[in-house]
Amino acid sequence: MHVEEEIAEYMRKELNNDLIGVDISRERRVLLIIKPEALRRAVNALKSNYSDLRFITITVVDDGLDFEFLHHFNIGSVIVTLKSLRAKEENILESIADLIPASTFIEREIADLFGIKILGHETRNLILTRDWPEDKRPLRKPLMGPLPKQARPVAEALISTGCVAPISRMMERKRESAGLSKTPAFTFTEDEDLREYHGIVRDTSLSESVGFDWKRKKLRYR
Amino acid sequence: MGRYALFLGCQIPMRIPSVEIASRSVFEKLGLEMSDLRGYSCCPEPVISRLLDEKVWLTVSARNITLAEELGLDLATLCNGCYETLLEANAILKRDQEMRKQVNDILMRYGRKYRGTVDVKHIVEVLYEDVGLEKIEEHVVKPLKIRVALHYGCHLYREPNGGDIMRKPNMMRGLTEVTGATVVNYGLERLCCGYPSMQVDEEFSLNQRLLPKLRRIMDAGADAVILTCPACNIQFETGQILLRARGIRFNIPCLNLMELLALSFGVPYEKLHLEVHRSPVLQFAKRLEGN
Repeated sequence: MHVEEEIAEYMRKELNNDLIGVDISRERRVLLIIKPEALRRAVNALKSNYSDLRFITITVVDDGLDFEFLHHFNIGSVIVTLKSLRAKEENILESIADLIPASTFIEREIADLFGIKILGHETRNLILTRDWPEDKRPLRKPLMGPLPKQARPVAEALISTGCVAPISRMMERKRESAGLSKTPAFTFTEDEDLREYHGIVRDTSLSESVGFDWKRKKLRYR
Repeated sequence: MGRYALFLGCQIPMRIPSVEIASRSVFEKLGLEMSDLRGYSCCPEPVISRLLDEKVWLTVSARNITLAEELGLDLATLCNGCYETLLEANAILKRDQEMRKQVNDILMRYGRKYRGTVDVKHIVEVLYEDVGLEKIEEHVVKPLKIRVALHYGCHLYREPNGGDIMRKPNMMRGLTEVTGATVVNYGLERLCCGYPSMQVDEEFSLNQRLLPKLRRIMDAGADAVILTCPACNIQFETGQILLRARGIRFNIPCLNLMELLALSFGVPYEKLHLEVHRSPVLQFAKRLEGN
């Protein structure tokens, strides 16, 4: 077994369901996609098993809706990256500075440039001046998704009800007075149909890609 | 006479129910049996969902098609957008076995399976091909002595396998003429009404799409615009209201083909609830009846 596959196999055993995916698309590169809450456990697992583990850096990608965190290490000549994703509304990253002291500076840099709160790490300003405004971080984008403003109500209605044109009370009355049913037999008229439809939408990637919040039944951005 | 599963879509029952009322009246008079689909969803909407994720579009469309498969009936749509979405999804899923498997992997979690056993038809195909102009003409009891402009709608040109894109627009023209109406040509029939671009750029949508069409339609001396697409109908009606606020005044009634047929079949205008339109369709229908 190649060393890349050995590392992946070891992490599969250590993280079980917290390891979402593995990508070994080229030689000497291992990408491990993990749940964000498993970050410290993953780092600990690597540290305890590989004495030559060396921390490289952390990359943060602001994609508008989420922060993608890429913790890069090398084990011998193999670069291992732990990839985790957190909603921007959470605005946190768990520190690994107590496990990997070399991460201190980059964590402070992330806190400065993105305004992300680093849990378990007192992050004093590293790059920005102390009076830098909290709400203006140089690398942070506003919370935004892929849909233009005018298309957002359509997407919200499509996902939450399965119908892009929610019916008004007046139209319901008009339908009834014309001898039609109050609404046609749409997904939203029967709980069972709506559950099935929501299940299908969740099983595809629509709600994720447009940034739909299932609890609020709205998009995460205005 | 044919039996179909009727796909109403979102816009017609929720925004322009007069089209649904008119359609049901026309079906009844022609003896067309339409079964309603239970638990259907948006087709899904042909712009956003298709641009964002092909698999979402195909899976949601496939679910809707399975509702018709359960009834063992071909699907008939009243809406151009639903027609294109469902027609193309059906064609892809019939052809692409790998995509069909991926879609069915999801559907089977909910006890469904897309089998590819039904076809999707636009209502103009059903009326023109399955009923026929002759039979329709027999039901025209009030020939309409009016001049109308046709807006076919972009999705009506969709034709599988490189077919004649004017096939269904010509059917729509024939169905309009059978009511007694004279179709006037205005030269911009193929220009989009601007509904999709309205979602991102209102000025462009109104000034570059709707306005040139309305001007030509007026110049051609049309009494009304006839459409088959509810989205285009909404664009023509709300667009006229928005243009009024800019000092550009049109007052052109915009009717669905099914409403035109119903009026020519002698269905009283009061029964159609034409007041749901945002252009003077009701007043137009009253004038036709001489009230």
